[in-house]
Formats: sequence, structure tokens, C-alpha cells
Amino acid sequence: MITIRVARIEDLMGMQACNLQNLPENYQMKYYLYHGQTWPGLSYVAEDDKGRIVGYILAKMEEEVESGEPPHGHVTSISVIRSYRRLGIAKKLMIQSQEAMAAIYKAAYVSLHVRKSNRAAIGLYRDTLGFEVHNVEKGYYADGEDAFGMRLSLK
Amino acid sequence: MPPKKPLASKEQHLFRELLSLYEARQLKKGLKTADQILKKAPDSGETMCMKGLILTHMGRREEGIDLVKKGIRLDLTSHICWHVFGLIQKAEKNYEEALKSYTQALRFDKENISLLQDAATLQTHLRNYEALQDTRELILKLRPNHRRHWILLALAYHLNGNPSDARKVLESYQKMLKARDIPDYDVEHSNVLLYQVRVIEDCGDFASALALLDGSAKSRGIVDRTAIMEYRARLLTKQGDTAEAEQAWRLLIEKNSDCLHYFRELFRIKNLPLDAVSGENREQAVALLLELSSQYPRSSVPARLLLDVSEGPEFEERVRVYVLDRLRRGIPSLFVDLKSLYANPSKPHVIENVTTQFRTEVESSLRSSSSPEGGESPTTLVWTLYFLAQHYSFLRRYEEAIETIDFAIEDTPTLPELYACKARILKRAGDLVGAVREIEEARCLDGQDRFLNTKSAKYHLRAGLREEAISLLGLFTKKDAASPSADLEDMQSTLYLLEDASCLYRLSQLGPSLKRYLVVQSIYDDMSSDQYDFHSYSTVRQRFTLEAYTSLLKWEDGLRAQPPFVDTALGIARILIAVHDDPALATSSTPSKRSDADKKAEKKAKKAALKVLDEVKKGTQNSSSNEDKGLEPPTAKDDDPTGVKALTASDGLEQAWKYIKPLVSEPLSLNRTDVLACAYDLSIRRRKYVLAAKSLLSAHQNDPENPETHLRVVDFKLKVSSLSPPPSETIQSLVNQTLLKVLPDEIALETLNSQYLQRHSDDPRAILAVADASTRIGTPLQEVEDTVFGILNPNVKNDVKSSLAACEFLNRIKSPRKDEFRSECDKHFPLSTMFKTAEELAGYKSQNGSAGGNEDEKEVVNA
Repeated sequence: MITIRVARIEDLMGMQACNLQNLPENYQMKYYLYHGQTWPGLSYVAEDDKGRIVGYILAKMEEEVESGEPPHGHVTSISVIRSYRRLGIAKKLMIQSQEAMAAIYKAAYVSLHVRKSNRAAIGLYRDTLGFEVHNVEKGYYADGEDAFGMRLSLK
Repeated sequence: MPPKKPLASKEQHLFRELLSLYEARQLKKGLKTADQILKKAPDSGETMCMKGLILTHMGRREEGIDLVKKGIRLDLTSHICWHVFGLIQKAEKNYEEALKSYTQALRFDKENISLLQDAATLQTHLRNYEALQDTRELILKLRPNHRRHWILLALAYHLNGNPSDARKVLESYQKMLKARDIPDYDVEHSNVLLYQVRVIEDCGDFASALALLDGSAKSRGIVDRTAIMEYRARLLTKQGDTAEAEQAWRLLIEKNSDCLHYFRELFRIKNLPLDAVSGENREQAVALLLELSSQYPRSSVPARLLLDVSEGPEFEERVRVYVLDRLRRGIPSLFVDLKSLYANPSKPHVIENVTTQFRTEVESSLRSSSSPEGGESPTTLVWTLYFLAQHYSFLRRYEEAIETIDFAIEDTPTLPELYACKARILKRAGDLVGAVREIEEARCLDGQDRFLNTKSAKYHLRAGLREEAISLLGLFTKKDAASPSADLEDMQSTLYLLEDASCLYRLSQLGPSLKRYLVVQSIYDDMSSDQYDFHSYSTVRQRFTLEAYTSLLKWEDGLRAQPPFVDTALGIARILIAVHDDPALATSSTPSKRSDADKKAEKKAKKAALKVLDEVKKGTQNSSSNEDKGLEPPTAKDDDPTGVKALTASDGLEQAWKYIKPLVSEPLSLNRTDVLACAYDLSIRRRKYVLAAKSLLSAHQNDPENPETHLRVVDFKLKVSSLSPPPSETIQSLVNQTLLKVLPDEIALETLNSQYLQRHSDDPRAILAVADASTRIGTPLQEVEDTVFGILNPNVKNDVKSSLAACEFLNRIKSPRKDEFRSECDKHFPLSTMFKTAEELAGYKSQNGSAGGNEDEKEVVNA
């Protein structure tokens, strides 16, 4: 049985392990701690009945907002372990996080980056979650690949 | 102490300039100024310390630190000297000494705010909450107008186990605040209010906590809606307000119907605890779950909980609906989801019946393709077979499992999950080579998927194919890293490091294995010092996420009780004990031939290092020596890359004890039999009989029937009855007392051993412990061998791992029957490759193709 709940400090190591297994973009623990200490209500996890983290959304508020721009949230990383797909976990995680962004920080929209070549993820963001491509960021990734900047309005 | 001669006024002026030059990190100018003062006043300790500090920043570390120490001796009553020393110790992560220096500095400058703030940070880091409370009180007294000092004092009280004072401070703070205008939707203010509710809750005054929560929710003082609802439900539950609490939990379920915790709490408040549903309340629990599952059809939580609480024909009916629905939807995790039901004696059988029956139905439906509308889809059959294969595998019916998954693969040869499933079955059955072959099939079907890549690398490591594993991992690690391993180390992948450490251990490369474990230890050290920045972080940013911060502190406190950390300490101790017992291992186990991957990695690392060196050279040419290199010491070069030094150190046991001691001492005091047994093993070898007795006693209290405990009881009795030189009287009497507690009086060890065997005749680990104990008692080899062979008797719940341990044991005692035993095991576990001889295995491997050998080719095919 999978449970979806807000991430606590003690979940961050499990999230980090999950990220390392699933995605090529990885971060040290300190970065997870930074998210947890700064925006404690925004990240969510999917946990199995043995307490293992099988999916997560690591989220924050954009810190450098230009004057006149509304506050908005940003998804640093989201992934679900392969064997737990088809349960709609990513969508559930995303919805909980979005609600929190809007409720706590009055976020106007949420943004994320995705590799231009990652069709599976783009499909999920666009078709299942309703994101739209906002811009292309040239050479965003360490290996030189471009990123799509995608956005979803929360208004 | 004679009073210090003050500097002349010109030098005093220069000294003030020196301080501001340092603040601005104008290092070169600062150095010049310091020298200018020292020319006139060569005994000025403060100047000397400042000069030393600047030199340290400039990278002239040794010289700088020497100067600082000299400076302190010249002026022991200067807060500046002690402050400088504290800064350097802090940068060296020597927090305890740093705090001592700060305390000294504060003696001579009691109200220095910056000293006090740094001291508070160190006190928090060292969990010295009593001193922290004093420091915070003083800071608030000195700066009562700063909002944050009020809140930080409350935090200090709270951490020090004094919530009622924390509450008072927060209440005064709120009163003070009322005069001012708090902006609408202020997240920081909201965080403080939430924290205040928590503090009042910790005082046990739930009614007031609720009142503050509700009031702040209404006035929009608290903006985090999920937090408001969760706090509310929790507080109402604690208050015993059943009806209101039920309502609150139901509202939370409405908000997030996938959160098991909310359901559990709802059932608890209704006196139907889900963990202990029994005869009388089963009906009620079922009724409520049915109500909830019809209310939230999209959540699988109530539907799945129903399977936990249902029994008999009702269970069969419900599990049928649950399983069939998910097989038709092709949910890969269905088996894992149901696995906990297998603890129940009757449910696995029902699940098997339901699923095999469904399989037959689907198969016949597919054969009669005349009715496509009502018929089942071909993918349903695949997922049904996939489920059944896992079911058989879990019940150790490996032949059936493989047969079933092979049907599925034949039907759909393009689904990675099926090969991954087969790989897992083979791994469980002991065929590590076959497991590699299958997981590679899965990986090659989806080369973009890191999950399959990680799995394949892990299986390669399990099979001892280390080079192949590392080159696989390299497909996803950063290309500019020195090696795939270096990137995974950098990203703190304890999962990989622990697998690699065990792999190296099994390959008898004890030195490199030890090094892997040490890396994991250093990752935990890093995580522990990571918190340092957060002690002042929320202060600086004024975010006041105090709930998150206090849980960070608690999490850090428990960091070293986490299984990966404990396993690492045990791994280190295991290696160092083995080398202590047989020093020849140290030399025989260092890799004679370095692998190609290692060589390649080293070359790359060298190149990277040269590049850095070049840049450093360029840097020094351009910006002369004004560059600030910071106070932290540079990372020391690894002068023991193969771990041979660590392995052959004369104080190996002492080193190992350094890692085990914190686990068995306050505040952790872990109650794990394996940890206590290891503490015993180290202590007895270090001739620390009191410690050995203490560990043995704890292990005995924890789990007296554990094979590890039994073996050590025997060992202790043998070792302490012939101590030379005889220990002191106190030690002897303590040892005797311990023996009385762990051994029935005056029983012969042989009898103890055979009685233990009788009690655990079906447990392979117990049989092995008995055999091991027998050798120590001096039982003839033949009898010991017979005992070991007993593992293969049909009544024993034997497994591959235990049999492998038995092989190792026979090897260790140089039994002439070791090959015979190995070949018996090979027959006993027909699927396993673990008991093959090297030649047999080589033949098998070549049949399977050298796994992972031609990665590049495979990648091209997949691209």
C-alpha cells in the first residue's frame, strides 16, 4: 500500500536514494536539507508499507523573482521508482505540492525544467499534469543538453 | 598574571586598521600592517594572533597556526586571541575545543554579541542546551529589540526540555508584536505561530494550543492549511474530543485520501485500531472501510486495508476483486502490495487459488477469440503470469516461478519487467550469473532507464563482476567525474558504496573493501556537519521554520543509528578482526593486479589533478598572494588508496573499536545482537574483560537464543577460565557474576551446546553456531563435520546464505570434507551457482556469454 504525505526531514535520505536510482540529475544531502529547512510544506513523498520512499517531489519557491513578477513555485526534482509506476503517484505528489505552494506562498504558477530529449517525462508533465512549454533554455544541463522550461498556472 | 602592557597609541590605531582590513579580507595589506605593529611591539599577542589568522587564510596554514598559539601564550586574557583560536578550531571541525576557546574569550569580553552568537551555534551543535539557554538569555538582554532573539530564546528553552518557559517567552513576544503591523499572509509570522502551538502542546495544555491554532487559522495568521488541519486533528485526539477529532481526520482524508496515517488515526479514535482488529470489532472496521472505499474509489488505501481485516470467504471475494482489477489494469507493484498478507497462514493459499483460476479463465478467453468484447486482453495474461511468478518465488517454489515467467516472456519478449522478475527469482535461488544475464536483457530493452541500470550494476556486483558493474554505472554518472565511483561517492550513494564494499569483501580484497566502508563513514560525518550551517541559517534568513529545524536536530541525533551506518561499522570491524586473527590475510588480500577500470580511473584522476594544479599556479601568478583560501584545512591527499596501511595498522582492533564504541554507548546504546556480539568480539581480543562481559550480558538479555549469543557465551567461558596473567580481583568477580547470569550453574559446555542444538534443530544458523562452538571446546573434527552436514537434513530450514557460511566455516577449520560438503550443497540447491567449483563456473559463464562485456555495442543497438 502506498501512502502519499508531506516530506519530513527523516525522509530526505530516502528521497536522495530514490533520485540516485531513477534520474541522472543528483544532489548532495545538504541540498535536500536546504529544501526541507526552507520550504517545509512543499515536498511530498510516496512511501510503501515498509517505510521505503518509492517516489518523491522535491519542491521550492523561486527565490529570484523579478520585481512585479508574482511569487511562483519550482519543482527541483520529481520521480517514481519504475516498479511503482501506473499508480498515478507522480500526479498525486504534484497535486499535493501545488496546493501547498498556492496555499502557503500564494504561488501564481509552478515551473520545472525537463531535458528536451526526455519524451516520457514531457508527456507526463504536459498530458497528465497540464504543464505547457514556456521557453527553451540552451545548454541548461551539465552535458550541454537544452531544457524546456515548463509552467502550469495555479490561478 | 602581570597586566598587559597596552600598545602605544600609534600601534593601537594600526591594530584597529588591521581588524578592519581582516574584516574586508584585505589579506596582504593586513599582513603588512601586522608586521608594522610587531616591529614596534614584538610581544603583542593580539597582533600575532591576527597575523597568524591572516597567514592561515593565505594558505600558509602551519606557520599561521603556530603564530596564533604563540600569540595566545603572550596574552592569555585577550578575547581577541581566544576568538581567533576558536575560529581556527571551528574551521577544523573541532567544535568542542572551539567552544572552549569561545568560552575563554567570553570571560574577557562578556557582552560581545558576535562571540555570543558563535558560542550559541557551537552549543547547539554540541547539544549543550543548558549553556545555550544561558547564552540566549544574555543575548536577549543585550538586544531586546530584535524579534529573532525572543524566538531563539524560546527555542533554547524548548530544546532544553523547558517548554513552559518557551511558552512564556513566545507569549511576551506576541504581546510586544501587537503594537506593530504584521503584513497579511506573512509566512515567517505563520511559522512562529505554528511553533508556538507546538510549544503549548508540549506543555500538555491542549485546549490553549487549540484555541491559538483556531484563532490564528481564522485570522489567517497561520497560512499552511495542511499543517492547520493536521495539528487540529492531532490536538483534538490528544484532548480526547472523539467526535470533533473524527471530523478532523475525515476532513484530512477528504484532502488527501492516499495518506494511510489519516485512516489509521480515524480508526484509532473510533476504537478500532487497524493493527489489532479482533472478533468483536471486525464487523465495525469492515463496515467503516466499505463506507470509505465507496466514498474514495480512487484511493487504494481503504480497499487494501479491507484485505488486512477480512477473513474467510469474505477475504476470498474481496481479494479476487482487488487482484483482478489490478491485473487488468497492469499494475506492476501488485505483488509487493499484497506481500504483507503472506504473514497470515491461510491468505497466500487463497491468493494462489484466485490467481491461478483467473489465469485459466484468461487463457481460455484468449483461445476463444470469438467474443472480443467480453474477452480478456492479452496483456492481462502477461501481468497475471508476472504476479504468479513472484508469488511462487516468494514461497521459494523457484522451478514453478521460472516456468511461469518464461511463459510470460515467450508471450511478450519486449517487457523489461519480466526479465527483471526472472533475474530476481534466479538471484533468490542462488544463480547469480543467470540473474545478471536476465537483468541485462531488461536493461537493454530500455537503455534510457537509470533504475534498470542501477539494478543491473547491483546484480553484477553481487556476482563479483565489479569492473562490468562500474562501467555500467558510468553510463549515467557525470562524464567529467574522475570515475563513475568518484561521482557516486560525491553524490553520497551509500547504496552503491555498501554493495561495492561487500563485493570487494567477497573477492577477498579486504583493503579496498575497508576503504569503501570508510567512505560511507565520511559521508555520515559530512551529513553530521551539514547541520552546522543550519544552526544559524534560519536566524539569518528570519524564516523561523522552527518545526523543521527541531526535527533536523532530532534526525541528526539518530543519524548514527541508521542501518547503513551501523552496517558500515560492522563491516569495518569484521575486516579488522579477520586480519587480527590471521595477519596473513592483510598481504594476501591486497589486489596484486590492479583492474583496468581502476587504472583508467586513476589516469583520469591524475589528469584532473594536474589541471587543478595548473589553475592554482595560474591563480597565484595573477592575483599574487592576496587570495583568500579560507580557514578550512584542505582535504588531505589519500596516502593509502588500496587500504593496505589501514589493514596492517598495528592498532587495528583499537581502530575498529572507535567505530563500534559509539553504537553501544550512550546516547545510542543500540540493542542489536549483531552489534553487541561485535562489541564482544573486539573487547575480548583487546583483553577488556569488563567490556566483553557487559556486551555479552546485553546480547544475552536482548536475545539469549540467538546463535551469535550462544557462540559467545561458550567463547567467553573458555577464554576467561584460563586467563594469564590472572586479572585483578574486581575484574574476576565481575566476570564470574556475568558467567552466572548467562550460564546455568555448573553445566558442562558440551551439554549446553547439545541442548542448544536440540532446541534449534531446524535452524541452519544455530547448527553452524553449535559446530563453531564445538571446535572451540575441542570436539574432534569428525563430530564437528557431522554437525555441519546436518544442515542439509530435510527438516532444516536451510537457505543458500547459511550453506555458504557453512562452506566458509569448513574452509576455516581446514576440514578435509569441505569439497564433499560443497558438492552436496550444489545438489541441494540445483539452481544455485554459488556452490560450483571455479572450473564449473567458468564453463557456465561462457555459456551465458560474458555478461556486460560488450556494453558499447549494446548501447548502440539501443540508441
